[in-house]
Amino acid sequence: MHSTLSFSRATTVPTTNYAFHSQSPINLRFCGLRREAFGISILTRSSSGRVRLSTRGRSKRISASTGNNGTPPKSFDYDLIIIGAGVGGHGAALHAVEKGLKTAIIEGDVVGGTCVNRGCVPSKALLAVSGRMRELQSEHHMKALGLQVSAAGYDRQGVAGHANNIASKIRSNLTNSMKALGVDILTGFGTIVGPQKVKYGKVGFTDNVVTAKDIIIATGSVPFVPKGIEVDGKTVITSDHALKLEFVPDWIAIVGSGYIGLEFSDVYTALGSEVTFIEALDQLMPGFDPEISKLAQRVLINPRKIDYHTGVFATKITPARDGKPVIIELTDAKTKEHKDTLEVDAALIATGRAPFTNGLGLENINVVTQRGFVPVDERMRVIDANGNLVPHLYCIGDANGKMMLAHAASAQGISVVEQVTGRDHVLNHLSVPAACFTHPEISMVGLTEPQAREKAVKEGFEISVAKTSFKANTKALAENEGEGLAKLIYRPDNGEILGVHIFGLHAADLIHEASNAIALGTRIQDIKFAVHAHPTLSEVLDELFKSAKVKAPASTSSPISEPVAA
Amino acid sequence: MQTQLGSAVFPRLLRRSLSYIPSILYSLHSLLNLFHFFRFLSNSSPQSQKHKEMASPFLSNTIISFSSSLSSSSSLPRLAPSIPFSAIRSKSTPRRILTVRSKIREIFMPALSSTMTEGKIVSWVKSEGDVLSKGESVVVVESDKADMDVETFYDGILAAIVVGEGETALVGAAIGVLAETEDEIAEAKAKAASKSGASTPSAPPPAPTPAAASTPAPPKSTPAPAAPTVAEGPRKTVATPYAKKLAKQHKVDIESVVGTGPYGRITPEDIDAAAGLSPSKKNVGLAVVVETKPAAPAKAPAASAAPSSLPPPVPGSTVVPFTTMQSAVSKNMVESLSVPTFRVGYPVTTDALDALYEKVKPKGVTMTALLAKAAAMALAQHPVVNSSCKDGKSFTYNSNINIAVAVAINGGLITPVLQDADKLDLYLLSQKWKELVEKARAKQLQPQEYNSGTFTLSNLGMFGVDRFDAILPPGQGAIMAVGASKPTVVADADGFFSVKNKMLVNVTADHRIIYGADLAAFLQTFSKIVENAESLTL
Repeated sequence: MHSTLSFSRATTVPTTNYAFHSQSPINLRFCGLRREAFGISILTRSSSGRVRLSTRGRSKRISASTGNNGTPPKSFDYDLIIIGAGVGGHGAALHAVEKGLKTAIIEGDVVGGTCVNRGCVPSKALLAVSGRMRELQSEHHMKALGLQVSAAGYDRQGVAGHANNIASKIRSNLTNSMKALGVDILTGFGTIVGPQKVKYGKVGFTDNVVTAKDIIIATGSVPFVPKGIEVDGKTVITSDHALKLEFVPDWIAIVGSGYIGLEFSDVYTALGSEVTFIEALDQLMPGFDPEISKLAQRVLINPRKIDYHTGVFATKITPARDGKPVIIELTDAKTKEHKDTLEVDAALIATGRAPFTNGLGLENINVVTQRGFVPVDERMRVIDANGNLVPHLYCIGDANGKMMLAHAASAQGISVVEQVTGRDHVLNHLSVPAACFTHPEISMVGLTEPQAREKAVKEGFEISVAKTSFKANTKALAENEGEGLAKLIYRPDNGEILGVHIFGLHAADLIHEASNAIALGTRIQDIKFAVHAHPTLSEVLDELFKSAKVKAPASTSSPISEPVAA
Repeated sequence: MQTQLGSAVFPRLLRRSLSYIPSILYSLHSLLNLFHFFRFLSNSSPQSQKHKEMASPFLSNTIISFSSSLSSSSSLPRLAPSIPFSAIRSKSTPRRILTVRSKIREIFMPALSSTMTEGKIVSWVKSEGDVLSKGESVVVVESDKADMDVETFYDGILAAIVVGEGETALVGAAIGVLAETEDEIAEAKAKAASKSGASTPSAPPPAPTPAAASTPAPPKSTPAPAAPTVAEGPRKTVATPYAKKLAKQHKVDIESVVGTGPYGRITPEDIDAAAGLSPSKKNVGLAVVVETKPAAPAKAPAASAAPSSLPPPVPGSTVVPFTTMQSAVSKNMVESLSVPTFRVGYPVTTDALDALYEKVKPKGVTMTALLAKAAAMALAQHPVVNSSCKDGKSFTYNSNINIAVAVAINGGLITPVLQDADKLDLYLLSQKWKELVEKARAKQLQPQEYNSGTFTLSNLGMFGVDRFDAILPPGQGAIMAVGASKPTVVADADGFFSVKNKMLVNVTADHRIIYGADLAAFLQTFSKIVENAESLTL
């Protein structure tokens, strides 16, 4: 059904209504970063074959039809303008240059965006410290290895400095890489003034207007702070403040137990804080595969100085002042009744992120955001209020809300550049891995088990689950880090990998074998013949693939199916 | 959860020999090793030698536990008829018929593997008062290998939970009590009460709290203390997450503990104290070690002397919990008792110093800076006095001379540290000192600015104190207590009287590393430096 629709859209109707899918999340249960991936995949898989045939025709038609509007200029200043120089915009710019496009990037703040300045990068610096602290503090662990270490301590300023240094280093790397390739970096806030036209400038200065054949919106997101919570940046903070590590409270409440909250709980408990989680859903770590989150809770929460309140909203948070601590009012998520009041030293709001799309001038081109997100189709083409595609305008990354991960934004940007340079490309979001850098790490790609089961029922196929333990891995045992689990969800009939979830040492690095297999369509019966060095952690996945029971035989064309005689 | 293994055989791993048995059946949901086991059984051609080797320890392990569990289940008395795999039971075992003497049954900690000696309750699926029917999961138990659901064999009511979530119990110990009817709940509870005492041996050392003895009822396991809404009434108990965990572990009634943390909250240290344990050593590295000092030397030892047998408070007295800083002082003071110290006093003539002070005072130099500089210069010549004894076996010679100076600040005491006091000149030192004091008053000192001292200086001379005795802060070798400088009639060797300013200096030192002669020599040097004060400005 989907394939028929997309076929007719591409060939017969120039201004097709694209709004028939994926605008409202298909299934709200998939919260957080995995929300939309499921719905999209069905579309991509079923329609990709035919769409490819007709793409070229369509893109010509669109430019012809917009030509009638009269507004867009005949010659452009740039081939591609990207608004926002975060990781998504950077990835798109580099790929655009490689494809020979004259490219500019507009940035009103610092290059690098959230990831580099206020997200993944500085948090990894803090987590690197917390991992080592944790190891040094674990007498049991040290003893097992035969090591003796006297009390480990830390210098808060030194730790904060490390996080800051790495952010500025990566930031200058990004800036230099773009300059070296000849990407123009235009400073100021970008606003779309009309089709293929953007103005930019600093507040109080005259604006410059530039034109481009294609425009990518990549403005990212900011921490989301629910109503009733007063952020003062000192005792009630968001991840932006927490990454500066200006103080380490004795007791901090973390609102939200997603991956941001989890990572910070890892940092704070390693530095000596006690943590209280506040989670609106009934279970901690709602975005993860249930089995993984259960195990993770046993390792990352229960033995640490952490307690939690689930099924409650933090409806009011007052920062510490007048000699009073931070006061948090908890309200039952179901009955909406007052449930408890907490008094803590600090509160970190990690309830997710909100798109940063205000002031983009979307009203000038009749685009209405949905909860701030820019509506796009599966090719990241922006959809206007009437459900029509806006020609030459794309939106990638957190601003479209499809999958709020830095590397997903970059992949979407590359996908867009592929499209504007004449090759149709649809990113399979189910092949985009995600990772949480706790100790040990959690990583995942594809569907969780409940999602896979639901899909299996809907589409009428069987699924199986295979699991391996890090306890059986030589390298993990040598490191004395045998705690962990890898889980594979697959179709036993054809060996398709539906999802892989890993909890254990270096899980974030291990996931890529699985995500690449999904991206390339490699089946289990083929990949199980690939050889892994021994002893390495990668053998956890080797074991996992080998333990799957696939009925289909290995494909004869597989390059690794036939061992070559020496 | 249980469906993940499909209909795979769930070995029932049962404990033998307890006669009026709990009616419990275990289903297994995530035994990974067994998973491997099955895989290897079914995999006739091992993929490679390597894998075989890697897995073999687990394989053999698994076989042992597997077979032993079979054999143990074979000796079981009558079990629920609903068990689906009764075929595996050996026919030769005589079946004893279990006579139910009481309708109150205990639920025991099952042996879920051959190596399991104790189990931890992951969670109670049912709570007290819930009606159970045969075959329902009641509790999830974590063994050394995996989590397993434990099911009941009987209908009934879960009258009492003896071992709460997160606690551990020996295999065979009662973890809960099942009553058949509502009427028996009270009786069952009483039984549970008597049991909880018996089951504790498995738990960590029983806490000598009166609460544990008199009310052995299962501790309230709900983490959030009740009565939240009545904010106006008695202040609600606030306990930190770790304090709650510790309270559970040590079976301390958290409501009975007086919080000493910020805003009167109950800290892990309070629970340790209530449980009669010394504060755990683990925190030392992390805990922001505030400092120490002679502020209230008499008080601390007295307070710590008999924590268990405190006399009842005099009526009308007010209990004011320590602030964080005061707690740290208290802790350090108690810790100092483990160090064998001794004291040596020395009179120092200060006329030259006083003259110098008058001269440099306009340039912002303080007496503290002068004394610190003098001490640092003396320490440079007597490195042993600047050393410390960390482990009772060795000297730790500090490469820097960092003079900590005790400062009273509002409600507390802190020791900002003048680092490398021997190397900085007097003016820089004075400037540095000013900054430190400002920071200390604003509570903005960084840890290395108050805990990196190698020698401490405490001066009460400005109050007119002529001599006093300081307590040695843990981690340092010596501390100097300086009294007031006073005009004193002095007779010299020739019998001439004169009036000189003299102050009494008293050093307390760790006799494990610093001996009397060391200290005497150091004081002599110090005295010479002070008497030739001009050298301080060099």
